[in-house]
Amino acid sequence: MSQNIATIRVTRYRPEKDLKPYFQEYKVPYRQDMVVLDALNYIKAEIDGSLTYRWSCRMGVCGSCGANIDGEPKLTCASFLHDFKGRTITVEPMTNFPVIKDLVVDMEDFMEKLVKIKPWIIREKETPPEQGEYKQSAQELERYSQFSSCINCMLCYAACPIYGLNEKFLGPAATALAYRYIEDSRDQGKDVRFPIVHEMEGVWECTLVGECSVVCPKGVDPMLAIQKTKILGATNALKSLLMPRGGR
Amino acid sequence: MRAETHKVARLHAILWGIFSLGGMIAAFLLPVLIYMTAIAYPFSLWPFNGTKDPSFLVTGHRLGALFIFVTIAGSLYHGIFRFQSALTEVGLLKYRRALEAVGYFIIFVGIIVLGYYLVTWYFNGTIR
Amino acid sequence: MEDNKRYPELRKQLSPGWWTANRHYAMYMVREWTSLFVALYSLIFIYGLSLWAMGSRADFLNFLKNPAVVGFSLIALVFTMYHAATWFYLLGAISPVKIGRSRTKPWQALVLNLILLVIVSYLAIWLLVLR
Repeated sequence: MSQNIATIRVTRYRPEKDLKPYFQEYKVPYRQDMVVLDALNYIKAEIDGSLTYRWSCRMGVCGSCGANIDGEPKLTCASFLHDFKGRTITVEPMTNFPVIKDLVVDMEDFMEKLVKIKPWIIREKETPPEQGEYKQSAQELERYSQFSSCINCMLCYAACPIYGLNEKFLGPAATALAYRYIEDSRDQGKDVRFPIVHEMEGVWECTLVGECSVVCPKGVDPMLAIQKTKILGATNALKSLLMPRGGR
Repeated sequence: MRAETHKVARLHAILWGIFSLGGMIAAFLLPVLIYMTAIAYPFSLWPFNGTKDPSFLVTGHRLGALFIFVTIAGSLYHGIFRFQSALTEVGLLKYRRALEAVGYFIIFVGIIVLGYYLVTWYFNGTIR
Repeated sequence: MEDNKRYPELRKQLSPGWWTANRHYAMYMVREWTSLFVALYSLIFIYGLSLWAMGSRADFLNFLKNPAVVGFSLIALVFTMYHAATWFYLLGAISPVKIGRSRTKPWQALVLNLILLVIVSYLAIWLLVLR
């Protein structure tokens, strides 16, 4: 095998034709600075136009190109070929999601969860614009800024076995985003969000596998967000037990 | 319906909190208890290289009995809770409710029996 | 969205052996199964106490000296220590402390808490046995 060829093994699945998915291998001219997305684009442009996959910004900010590469959830645009052992790289659709075609997964469940946690500032009363902006100190910003880095790439859901076992689990990204708003000093929506994250299939399903934080390309650390949310839930429940009629 | 599920979720939150506390107990208190009962005493090592033995932990003074209760009850709760959850992760997810019921039953019986022994010994003078 | 799905989607179920896929998952399973030994030791200890309650103190002490009990307890101790170490690491992961511009790392919490464990253990022995 020549030094300048990489072999890309891709999952193919065309539901109108195939009963099961299968692997197809393509030989791609290899450059030192290639990422998996470059290889997929080459395949689609030069070898097999039917290969179907999602991508957009090609620089790790849009969150479209998630896939399982050699078994690990990664962004195809951020995975350099030279980082993988050997010259054959296996590209599969992200685990734990239903597959629509080839590498394209169904995101409906995730989208529903994203909307469910109400990812916007909730105020009890909006102050009119004439009164000026909501001020926030640097310390207040720091409490939630890492959790606002999420690009909704869903790699954390692909990595989470709990989500794989139980689709009802709220999951890492949705909880991290909910926590981002809970911790935002401008937000007053705890009463709205707490019941959602603290319901039975909310944060409680998490058993600290921790893979979500390992695969996150943006350093969001959803595991941390989930644990903090659990602690908030436990202290909240204790408070309402000890002070049923007051004390908020 | 929402109110009911909310109550269950709140209960679960508290049960999780106790589980966390049990984890602290199992991490900080269980090692020394196992050391005393399975290494120090059977092999006559410190602190049981003299006349004392682990029963002294129970009868020596109330603090010892409390230590035993907290350590064993906390560890039992944490262990069963987590093991039941681990079982749901190796293919038994559909038996989850049954596993929880059995788990909490074992925890309940274990803690009641343990408490019963210690309290009886306290009241009949065995624990000073 | 339902009307778009003219063809079936492929839904794969996660198999019970999912955790064998990589080292991280396998280590996670080991960590979770330490709980079995923690629970079993507690139950066996309660059983030992019941021998005392229904019999005599000597029954409890002989139970503790039983080679099978000692053997199991030593295995339980290994797993309990693994639980403690991973628990301390997780504590560090979920409560990073800001010191100046940097944050504490989980392994620092592990070391700190292991030292604390030694101190607490010594205190327990001193307070409960030696005093």
